Amino acid sequence: MARASLQIMRDTVHALIMREIKTRFGSSKLGYFWALAEPALQASFMAIMFSLIGRSSLSGAPVAVFILVALIPFKFFSKLLPQLAASVEANKGLLAYRQVSPIDPFIARLLIEVATFILVYIILMGILAWLGFEVWPADLLELITVSGLLMLLASGLGLLLCNAVLYWQDTPKLLGMVTTPMMFISGIFYSATMIPSQYWYLFTWNPLFHVIELSREAMFITYVTPVGDAYYVAFLALIFNAAGLMLYQVNKHRFIAS
Amino acid sequence: MIHFKNMSKYYPTSSGRSYVFKDVNLSIPMDKSIAVLGPNGAGKSTLIRMIGGADAPSKGSIESPLNISWPLGLQGGLQGSMSGRENVRFVARIHGHKNTKSVEDKVEEFAEIGKYYNEPVKTYSNGMRARVAFGLSMAFDFDFDVLLIDELNAVGDMAFRKKSEAILKEKYKKTKLIMVNHNLPQLKTFCESAILLGQQTIQYIESIDEAIEQYKQSHVKSS
Repeated sequence: MARASLQIMRDTVHALIMREIKTRFGSSKLGYFWALAEPALQASFMAIMFSLIGRSSLSGAPVAVFILVALIPFKFFSKLLPQLAASVEANKGLLAYRQVSPIDPFIARLLIEVATFILVYIILMGILAWLGFEVWPADLLELITVSGLLMLLASGLGLLLCNAVLYWQDTPKLLGMVTTPMMFISGIFYSATMIPSQYWYLFTWNPLFHVIELSREAMFITYVTPVGDAYYVAFLALIFNAAGLMLYQVNKHRFIAS
Repeated sequence: MIHFKNMSKYYPTSSGRSYVFKDVNLSIPMDKSIAVLGPNGAGKSTLIRMIGGADAPSKGSIESPLNISWPLGLQGGLQGSMSGRENVRFVARIHGHKNTKSVEDKVEEFAEIGKYYNEPVKTYSNGMRARVAFGLSMAFDFDFDVLLIDELNAVGDMAFRKKSEAILKEKYKKTKLIMVNHNLPQLKTFCESAILLGQQTIQYIESIDEAIEQYKQSHVKSS
């Protein structure tokens, strides 16, 4: 029964994914439904608000699409981080098996959330298309690239948070306090073109702002982002991943030790 | 053989590093089953967990060419939020079983805990935990060379104890045990040699009687 180490890792990650799906979505049968309904409800709420004040388009794009294209990546990001931060802790009992290394639950959760993200994206855009909106991205390749960068950014930050939890148990609580205000400064309800250019510096430090700007540029043929910079996001993602992996290597047995 | 190479294990405390083991260099032959003796806090469970790969030495390494089980104990190994069946399924999967049903049924049959098998492990009593943990290691055709047991059969009732003892005896010839147990007569029925823990070091003693004698002299002075 000799298996290569990569094979063992694949079996382990598979087993962890099955276990995570069971405990996460199995407990409430509507689990997967809420993953879809939450951003959909928020976006329609926003769309209704904007149409009540007489706006049907923002920066030349229909309000619903304008918001959804920002809200989906943001939701993915803000949900994934606490998930990743707690991934090792939540599977501690299973680390007793030598096949399970601490990075495996991390990978399992990342894969689940990425799959959910893609599914949510496609389904919600499909619903909008069915309602008569123009949803086919102007530049599909750019949208895929930006979404890929977002995943890398989130995994790097998640890895850093995993390490942070080792030193400070309350990290996820702080995280919750940070992600809520993030929603208002990441450009979900507005775009850079709606902000006077002398205030851009207040937003451009935030990689999520860039991701959302670039997503809109990719989505709408009429929108050209004045600030969005894919290299900045890629650079941060690289740094976070490198630092996270280094810290993981250093702390490896602190994860295992009880 | 299990080789300890410059192995140290310490825990950080407010007054600096507290060493459980310090620079242990030792090779333990695994041709006989081994009892682990030592007072509370000498690191018996830690040692078992490190041999089983559930914990890591702070420095140095523990190496062995043998196929060693995970530590069968009350802590670790079973995830509280999952049911007994889900735990079994998980373990079957990480060992590369594609069809887990037969393993699940085998453990269910061995554990005899009825409908609790499908309830979360955190609702189990110690005895039920032990039954599932033990059944788990028995249901697979793992052919472990070494089985690590941390006070597992101490908590079961008579029926379970008889059953597990019978199975252990049956597997005896192929599989050797490393066993932690505070019940000395029970240790003697399974183990022929022993390792003695204390003063941050590990000592291998070939005869269990001699080891128990030595252990009693150094630690059980009052009785």
